[in-house]
Amino acid sequence: MSSHPLRDRAAIIGVGYTDFMKNSGVSTLALALRAISAACDDAGISFKDLDGVATHRVSDSVQGAVVLNALGMRDPKFYVDQFGGGSASHTVVGQAAMAVATGVADYVVCWRAINARSEFRMGGTGRPPPDVVEFQYQTPYGYATPPQQFASMASAYMARYGATREDFGRVAIRQRDNASRNERAMMRTPITMDDYLSSRWIVEPLCLFDCCLETDAAIAVVVTSAARARDARHTPVLVSGAGWGGGHTLYSNHREDLTVSAAADMSKRLYAMAGVGPSDIDVGCIYDAFTPLVLVGLEDYGFCAKGEAGAFVAEGSFPFNPHGGHLSAGYVHGINHIAEAVEQLRGNAGARQVAGAEVALSTGQSGYVAGSSSALILRKGDRS
Amino acid sequence: MSEAPERVVPYPDRDSKPWWESVARHELVHQRCDDCRAWRWPPRAMCGECGSFSWSWQRVAGTGTVVSCIRTHHAFLPGFEAPYHTVFVSIDEQPDIVMPGSWHAVSAPAVGMRVQVFFDDIAVREGEPVSLVGWRPTDV
Repeated sequence: MSSHPLRDRAAIIGVGYTDFMKNSGVSTLALALRAISAACDDAGISFKDLDGVATHRVSDSVQGAVVLNALGMRDPKFYVDQFGGGSASHTVVGQAAMAVATGVADYVVCWRAINARSEFRMGGTGRPPPDVVEFQYQTPYGYATPPQQFASMASAYMARYGATREDFGRVAIRQRDNASRNERAMMRTPITMDDYLSSRWIVEPLCLFDCCLETDAAIAVVVTSAARARDARHTPVLVSGAGWGGGHTLYSNHREDLTVSAAADMSKRLYAMAGVGPSDIDVGCIYDAFTPLVLVGLEDYGFCAKGEAGAFVAEGSFPFNPHGGHLSAGYVHGINHIAEAVEQLRGNAGARQVAGAEVALSTGQSGYVAGSSSALILRKGDRS
Repeated sequence: MSEAPERVVPYPDRDSKPWWESVARHELVHQRCDDCRAWRWPPRAMCGECGSFSWSWQRVAGTGTVVSCIRTHHAFLPGFEAPYHTVFVSIDEQPDIVMPGSWHAVSAPAVGMRVQVFFDDIAVREGEPVSLVGWRPTDV
């Protein structure tokens, strides 16, 4: 069987975080620069070695061109500034992987920088970005914000499969418990099912603990070719597979069944590119802006059958979101899943380390709302 | 008038203007491809099934099935009094057209419920009514 030409050709060699905050007090440009600088330090390169940039945003963060300029990069070889939220979070790294694997660029930095609590709360104004033309069919109905959008898939999922609030609650409880072992996490106090069930409604069927945090933060990762990565400071993490997929928009004329995400189709391509299957995945960083997304993600990435994710989570043997995820660690719109997968595969995730992790799946938002989806399969590489 | 922040009203673009105008006349129409006869919504210049740029606005029955329903408890947007229901309706002519809408019945909506359109006049703008597509249980 011939190997996919992108498989294991690029690697993540550096990860940089800012703190996860409620009010950073600084611009998204400053956050981006801090995370990029930290990622270069982690990679053991100078920021002057960077020759490409890739980011995504929903009119809520500094332009890629401004960051590039602030980095003093006079002759960039690769540039992506993609419109999109969590569904685009993994595509920018996939695009960077293609760029370094083909020699278009040598060191591409990917980041997401948001003041998602103190400056631009998602959907918080009722006036979405003007480029989201379809919001004209939502906001006049008082339907504009992410918890509403994901409550709509949660409602359909519960009706179809008889899923219960307890099924959602076990995701929230597990991830809070995971966050208790993550020194970066914003919410580290464990919660019980009683806490979950008695928390206030946000949008039925979702309550407070079904919803992710709103966070001011930035994370950056440095991507280079697999050949260069062999000499990196840390164990390189190879990009074995990158997936670009479709999605739901409620208006697409394509996917009226809200209980199946676009990842159900896309994951097959992703696994084929990486040459692995769900049983090979040692740790999953499954997109979790809201708890029901984790259930649908576990199903559509093939870890269990449709409708069975609630029981699969209750059974508890598959390690997912060891950092606590967006629900309890902090919300950086997907890239924190990539960063966590890298730390797990390097084996330096401390108290939350999944023993022996060699292959990880990290997923972006699986296509609800945005009409696109993305994911990565990452593998522990070798140093020279 | 009151000082309360204003509710968001439809802001049509060049594709959607005729559609919103028909809603204001209390007529539910959708684009239908003149060549392959597929329905589509929201309004777009090209048929995604056959590639045709030729279409007609046609009335639909205004009936469908609730595929999801939510109840917003947090007043995210100005002009809405929480809690309120929003329903997502798969229309009879083309089930993969799913339309969000407001709910107009005393009883709560439920997935699987049969519904019919209810035009919700929410404002008057420059002398013309501004209407939304709402839904209520089908008459039995």
